[in-house]
Amino acid sequence: MDNLLIPRGVRRTSFGSFLLWLLPWFAMLSVGLYAIYLCLAEGLFHTNMDNRFAFGIWIFLDLTVIALGAGAFFTGFLLYIVRRKELAAVINSAVIIGLICYSGAVLVLMVDVGQPLRAWFTFWHPNTHSMLTEVTFCLTCYLVVLLIEYLPIVIKNRQLRQIPKFLVFEFELHKLMPVFAGIGTFLSFFHQGSLGGLFGVLRGRPFAFREELGIWPSTFFLFVISAAAAGPSFIMLTTRLVEKITRKRLVRENVYQLLGKVSGLMLVAYVLLKSIDTLIWINSTSPGTGFPAFEYYATQSFGTWILFTEIVLFGLLPALVLLSSRLRSDRRLLFGAAFMVCCGIMLNRFVMTIQTLALPTLPFDAFLTYLPSWQEVAAFAFVIAYGVILYSVTYRYAVVFPQERELNLAAGPESVPAKQSLLSRLRPRFAVQLIQKFVSLF
Amino acid sequence: MLPFVYEFHWTPFHVTFLLVFFTLFSMVAATLVLALRRTAAKDTPEQIEHVRWHTDFEDLPAALKACRHELRGDVKHRTCPNGFDCRTCTVHAQINARVRHRPGMQGFQVYGFSMSPYRLYHRGHTWVQQEKDGTYTVGIDDFGKRILGTVRSVELPPVGSRLYVNGSGMLVRSDDAAVRVLSPLDGEVVAHGTEEDDWLLKVRAEQDETATTHLLTADEVPNWILREMERLQASFATAGVGVTLADGGELAPNFHRHFPKADWDGVLGQMFLQA
Repeated sequence: MDNLLIPRGVRRTSFGSFLLWLLPWFAMLSVGLYAIYLCLAEGLFHTNMDNRFAFGIWIFLDLTVIALGAGAFFTGFLLYIVRRKELAAVINSAVIIGLICYSGAVLVLMVDVGQPLRAWFTFWHPNTHSMLTEVTFCLTCYLVVLLIEYLPIVIKNRQLRQIPKFLVFEFELHKLMPVFAGIGTFLSFFHQGSLGGLFGVLRGRPFAFREELGIWPSTFFLFVISAAAAGPSFIMLTTRLVEKITRKRLVRENVYQLLGKVSGLMLVAYVLLKSIDTLIWINSTSPGTGFPAFEYYATQSFGTWILFTEIVLFGLLPALVLLSSRLRSDRRLLFGAAFMVCCGIMLNRFVMTIQTLALPTLPFDAFLTYLPSWQEVAAFAFVIAYGVILYSVTYRYAVVFPQERELNLAAGPESVPAKQSLLSRLRPRFAVQLIQKFVSLF
Repeated sequence: MLPFVYEFHWTPFHVTFLLVFFTLFSMVAATLVLALRRTAAKDTPEQIEHVRWHTDFEDLPAALKACRHELRGDVKHRTCPNGFDCRTCTVHAQINARVRHRPGMQGFQVYGFSMSPYRLYHRGHTWVQQEKDGTYTVGIDDFGKRILGTVRSVELPPVGSRLYVNGSGMLVRSDDAAVRVLSPLDGEVVAHGTEEDDWLLKVRAEQDETATTHLLTADEVPNWILREMERLQASFATAGVGVTLADGGELAPNFHRHFPKADWDGVLGQMFLQA
């Protein structure tokens, strides 16, 4: 039915199956839309946030998706500025994911702020003393850049490119893409940083407050580096997920290896800086505000395990796996590590948002608990459903993975041959050693 | 510019912040306008065909972009950076000056395909032959005809229209797909072939010594056809297995009918160098 719209040389499921696939996502979208309507039309009492717990699941997940969407700017930076051409294989996917993440975050922020028709106030009445102003300006500006970067993907559709003006416009935009990549990198650096910075300047919340480096608190830099580490990992995971769902090979192994290596390098830098930052905070910043740091971890829910999990389990461990070419060549370890990196970034944003607000800071404060209402969850489910629908439609009708055609039409050899799983290689050896030891006992 | 912002004060922070923001905003807008202006400026058929081929060529797999000198064995490995247009390629000129070519072969069969030593071949499966009156006849080569299967219609450019190298030459509709066949020459269409003719177009090329230097000569054809056969075989190979020893040989008669469920649109697109 829609065969003429599908890119040449790639296989897609039938139109009916595609509609069936979209159906549950549209159902999810409808529920989310209803929840958004309730929040906008009737007010934020539909949420479980209050004056003291002003940052709930929305801000936590906003920060998470913005960090995960960093793959768009970082992949663009590596491809167009550093000239790592291998990444051309995933740049379209990175742009779509970035667009979904950022537009979703802006949408949820609009619901959270509650007056979308007055969104322009933030530009007309900017509070230049607020980190959020910088975030708002950079976020909207970068969203425009992402839309411009998304445009060539759409107009490169097989039928749309038959229109000469679209064909030439796509060509010209593509030539100017390094400019957009550069601007995107600059904007992302500042809004990722300012999102971290806005927690670091909270003097009234000693759990989050950090010393300044120049004019920014250390969390500014930690957010930038952690986003740059998580972005490539998220690109790897989403690409692998699409491969699994479509049962196709979409990119070559060397692309995964490069993304893994980049993610590992950024992550090891992050773990190092985060460790130094935490030590300074424990020994100097927090005691300086009158709170021994370990008091924060006295509550049952947020023990020191959370610090260990964030820095060691979801930080150091995947960083070491991703940095080792031997370990990285095992696909299960590679994607396992990428998954851990994404979990780590999620945990970090959770700690900065939820834990910061939950912990008491005044003698008469109690430990606050917060559970999101169904409307809050549904509003974010809307973003997920919208993301899946946008990605699915784009994947069906546009060339998202340029290597797909080559990898699936011609069953040529891998550029880097897939290695045997490390675990499967270890197991027999280990079993043989065990048997030998057992035999030697007699 | 700056005082347009509400509650703006002439403090270093306000000035720096807004200056940076407006500069970036202007850069985004200016780049977009530049792209639009360049788009508006490129409105001639030649420019549009050039862009179409450029983007198509960019999207071709690296294996398809092998230089003719790699096919011929002059160099070990080289990817064509010029969109198969050797007319302006300095490397092509250098290698041609250095390497002595074998003389053209007689009428020959290449892996079961009839090829003529008097014709020049384009990588998009068209041939060109110079006629006595100085014009060139253009047709689809035997390989192209065989993989196209039953042709339902051929849309030729009208007489008097201009063709551009690697631009649209004709549109061929077969039972399975519609394929844009690339033009092998720059020039003006002077006649259409009849059903009795084996050529489809007669073209008056631009009076230029280099009009056909980008086309493959008879001694280059066997290696090129071998590569094409390998590509064709790879298109039908089992995923994960690739081409096996048993996959060799010549193309069977009515080869098309043996693969009714194949993605012919994709296969033909790739063989005729289209994205």
